[in-house]
Amino acid sequence: MESLEGKRGLPRIKPPFPATHGLYNKPTVVNNIETLANLPYIVGRGPEWFASIGSPPKSTGTRVFCVSGHVKQPGNYEVPMGVTFRELIYEHAGGMRSDKPLKAFIPGGASAPFLTPSHLDVKLDFESVAAAGSMLGSGGVTVMEEGTDMVWAALRLMEFFYHESCGKCSPCREGSSWLVQTMRRIVAKRGQMQDLETLVDLCKNIEGRTVCAFGDASVAPIMSTLKHWRPEYVTLIQEAESANLIKLEPAGVRH
Amino acid sequence: MDNITAEHVRLTIDGISISVPKGTLVIEAARRVGVMIPHFCYHPKLKPDANCRMCLVEVERMPKLQTSCSTVATEGMTVRTATTVVHNAHKSVLEFILANHPLDCPVCDQGGKCDLQDFSHQYTATSRFAETKRIFQKEYFSPLIETQMNRCVQCLRCVRYCDEVMDVKALAPIGRGTMTEIKSFGAHPLDCEFCGGCVQICPVGAITSRLSMYEYRPWMLKRADTVCMFCGDGCQITVQTKDQELIEVNSAQGAGRNSGDLCARGFFGFRAASHPDRLTHPLIRRNGALVEATWEEALEFVAEHTKRLKLSHGPQAFGGLISGRCTNEELYLFQKFMRLTIGTNNLDSSARYGHINGVQAMRSVQGTHRWTVTFEDIVQADVLLLIGTNITEANPITGLKVKEAVKKHEATLLTIEAIQPAIGTISNISNLSKQHVCVAPSQFGAAVLGLLKAVVEGNHIDSTLRQQAPDYVSAVSQAIQQLDWEDLAVSTGVSSESFVQMAASLAGGRRVVALAGQTLLRSQGAYGVCLNLLDLLLLTGKLTAQGCGFAPLAEENNDQGAVEMGAVSALLPGVLDLTDRDARDQITRAWKEDLPVATGATLIEMIGLAQTGIIKGLFIVGENPVGSLPPQTGVKEALSKLDLLVCQELFLTETAALAHVVLPAASAMEKAGTFTNTEGHVQAVRPAIDPVGDSRPDWEILSAFSVFLGAPLEYGDAKEILKEIRAVIPGYGSLGPSPIPPAVDPAAVDRYMNEGYRRDLATRYTLPARDVRQDGTVQLGLTQSLFHSGKLSTYSTGLLQIEPSGLLQMNPVDAARLGLDAGDRVRLSNGQGKFTTTVKVLDRVPEGLAWLPDHFAQDALRLFDCVVDPDTKVPSYRTASVSVVKTA
Ligand code: SF4
Ligand code: SF4
Ligand code: SF4
Ligand code: SF4
Ligand code: FES
Repeated sequence: MESLEGKRGLPRIKPPFPATHGLYNKPTVVNNIETLANLPYIVGRGPEWFASIGSPPKSTGTRVFCVSGHVKQPGNYEVPMGVTFRELIYEHAGGMRSDKPLKAFIPGGASAPFLTPSHLDVKLDFESVAAAGSMLGSGGVTVMEEGTDMVWAALRLMEFFYHESCGKCSPCREGSSWLVQTMRRIVAKRGQMQDLETLVDLCKNIEGRTVCAFGDASVAPIMSTLKHWRPEYVTLIQEAESANLIKLEPAGVRH
Repeated sequence: MDNITAEHVRLTIDGISISVPKGTLVIEAARRVGVMIPHFCYHPKLKPDANCRMCLVEVERMPKLQTSCSTVATEGMTVRTATTVVHNAHKSVLEFILANHPLDCPVCDQGGKCDLQDFSHQYTATSRFAETKRIFQKEYFSPLIETQMNRCVQCLRCVRYCDEVMDVKALAPIGRGTMTEIKSFGAHPLDCEFCGGCVQICPVGAITSRLSMYEYRPWMLKRADTVCMFCGDGCQITVQTKDQELIEVNSAQGAGRNSGDLCARGFFGFRAASHPDRLTHPLIRRNGALVEATWEEALEFVAEHTKRLKLSHGPQAFGGLISGRCTNEELYLFQKFMRLTIGTNNLDSSARYGHINGVQAMRSVQGTHRWTVTFEDIVQADVLLLIGTNITEANPITGLKVKEAVKKHEATLLTIEAIQPAIGTISNISNLSKQHVCVAPSQFGAAVLGLLKAVVEGNHIDSTLRQQAPDYVSAVSQAIQQLDWEDLAVSTGVSSESFVQMAASLAGGRRVVALAGQTLLRSQGAYGVCLNLLDLLLLTGKLTAQGCGFAPLAEENNDQGAVEMGAVSALLPGVLDLTDRDARDQITRAWKEDLPVATGATLIEMIGLAQTGIIKGLFIVGENPVGSLPPQTGVKEALSKLDLLVCQELFLTETAALAHVVLPAASAMEKAGTFTNTEGHVQAVRPAIDPVGDSRPDWEILSAFSVFLGAPLEYGDAKEILKEIRAVIPGYGSLGPSPIPPAVDPAAVDRYMNEGYRRDLATRYTLPARDVRQDGTVQLGLTQSLFHSGKLSTYSTGLLQIEPSGLLQMNPVDAARLGLDAGDRVRLSNGQGKFTTTVKVLDRVPEGLAWLPDHFAQDALRLFDCVVDPDTKVPSYRTASVSVVKTA
């Protein structure tokens, strides 16, 4: 809305909400194309029909999922809500690219925490994914096979958040640059053990303290990879330490 | 927060229960119970932006921490600011903010008054950040404002202030994420109003003043709270000094009438007082040249010649002229000195240049000599009418009140100004107008008549008034009906529909304030126009209603005080008529001495009398008629004929150069006293430094004269004079936080409607003469610049860096018509003389007009005719028709 008004693309403080004070201060409804695309069918065939599809009570209807990553047939798949990830990945998307086992997947876009193979039978509906500790978000499912470097994967996403942070609020602006730099260092084998603690602290300090949901989202990759694949971080750091590549001792800074 | 009839809500903050008006933010409510929630981006003047996240607090029944700067207090809310969770959140936000911060406190001018430094200290916050810090290239920002963007915490206060409060929009954040950098919009280096607001509002050392760069640490400075010495808005300023050096001026949020806002003159102009050209010794003319003398010699010289002249020619051979920049105490003592010690009413002040027009009109119609409204009424008005104010440049802080009314409270702004609504580097009030009519200054009167005609014909006349004063109403109606819409349209260039719409807005307003500024007040026939404006308010029932009134704006800081102290020929202290026997008796009783009764001469009359040799001695305090009046008045020849010209001055002005004795006066930075601002608010002036050299405050000099003349007017200090003023004008200068305006005097209004109006109604209700424009000519107008005030500011190094000389500003269409480009040298000429200057092309100048800043126009004055108002004796010489030719 800010951009439409010719201003910088920054989040607005809510309240007031767009529904009462939106574009040019007029009531505004903001909707996804996907939502709007559903409307003709709902109007045509009635809400009962729509509600009969999917996984009631809340997650009814169909949803388009964009499957990408290490699958045979990446693409957009419209499925009824409530099918499992296993079905989506192995039936619709044709299974893993090189038939390696699946290592991890992101269920709902860059801001959704990573899930593990043990979550494959989770149903694709809002409640089930939330119960598994992630979210369905944008419906972008990214699949990673065995052998994927999870620290690198988290960094890759962090780079995105760092680039996209609008810079309006301090935790997100400063936090994303800090996180990305620390992650880069760890991946480049210049990390230290205490970095892991710092990463967790920083993530916690960003979460829930920003103007918009972007801040919360930006910590998901790091938090979830640290949760499920902490040893990968540790290994990278241990390699750094044993190779004695770097002993970070910033002059004059006491931690 | 507008809350005249506000409801209240009760909430609990850290266990303390407090009731606050509905709409109050939690951070403000907390402040009221003495809890200071740390913050960067919040500022009471600005809309919440909640970007820094420093002010997080716990609110019961809300899952996440809330930013107290954007959360509105609600009934029953429970807020906790002192928990571990909150403390840790604050610490973590600080850690983030410190991450990329350079921490160059040792060389940072903000050190010692920096919010980031203070909070870091409070929370013993450090940052574990050990990565590479973001670095912005150092850029040259402007001659007066320094930026060090690595220190920026991206709170956007500067950007928001410049937009929301100033309406200048000179700053913008560029880039994203950590690369967000504050830059000036458009032209680089920064070109803006230079109000200093961004410098003051920046919580860290990212934007600082170059005037005092690297010169001090806050704790080295001594502070004096005083009043700005430039315009009539009367801003409270805090002058900071190191030893005898003026280092910095700022102003505190909540203090004074300006509440922390200043204009370029106030913020950057202070060094005028410490200009090296300041006079530091008395001078006496010997063998034709001014030579240094001791005070003793100078005072003896004055006394001896005064006595001699008085003996042979009597007291009427003397006159006196004082500047509206002097304190009330000095103005009071000056008129007392002239009236008692010398024995003449030949005295005048710079209020005569225009301010007196507004004051006399108020006296004639509503029986007050002050506004019946205050700045608060302007802010709360629902309809504001501006006529010839040039408000942004002439009275910038009153201008901010108007902006606040429009931008925050959605007031309807109607403007009749000689300006086009073009966007430029400084704000343009007509951009905020609901309805704007662009009228040449000579036709402001015609525009007011157009409004009156629309009021009468549109049946907007107050019904009670019709019954109460049928004669007056019908006389005005008849007079106005003589005028033809077509003639009005030719004179003003404005259609009848515009006037009809404006009149409807005006009549529909509940709280209507009409502001008239110096562009009007100094123009020919201004007194009559002011009376007509008062008619307009009276007819629509807006003169006496609550929150309504007429507000003529004073140009010099104490023009209003000059009138109230009786420093004008026909008025005694308390603005009593000299011709009023009771008033004279009252003053006589207070002074225990008889007053001279002979009518006094005004400014222009005194010059005439000096010319004819009747006035032989003239005392001039801080005024420079030779530099201010057109040569046609014969001012220079007249003053050269005097047997005794005594000047008390800061600088050797054109006038002082003719004097027999020049006495070095102390500036407003060096003396105590009071100033009365345009609203009639009396405020304390306090010395920030000692008088420069051997200079003395003007009142001390006047007092010394009286002693040497054997009729001592002796006072220990300025306070003693104020005490006497209070005895003469009961209750003068209560020095409260805001003025208590007088009410319209119903008896005076009755007198006006029964009798007063008859005297000049017919003359006032005729169209002013039109300017005849010939090919190759423009209508040249002397204007007030935002960056200057009189000639005093032309001694300010800071202001000279913004505007070093007077450029001829003209519309692009005219420039093209005359084949001129920006920067071309041009010769202006008419039958009376010529003047060479440089062209500046400016969109906002109306077509056919050209502006020349008054402050640099001494040599252009010969182009102007001077017309004296028959009633108020105001000399007006603001416009002239000139041809413009490019010189090689
Ligand atoms: S802005 Fe404040 S914290 Fe930063 S260098 Fe300046 S004084 Fe220090
Ligand atoms: S000094 Fe200039 S940039 Fe700063 S707030 Fe004032 S007008 Fe805006
Ligand atoms: S320059 Fe100062 S006021 Fe402006 S955003 Fe940066 S820290 Fe805030
Ligand atoms: S010149 Fe006028 S508006 Fe500017 S700071 Fe001084 S008193 Fe205020
Ligand atoms: S002060 Fe509340 S978020 Fe900045």
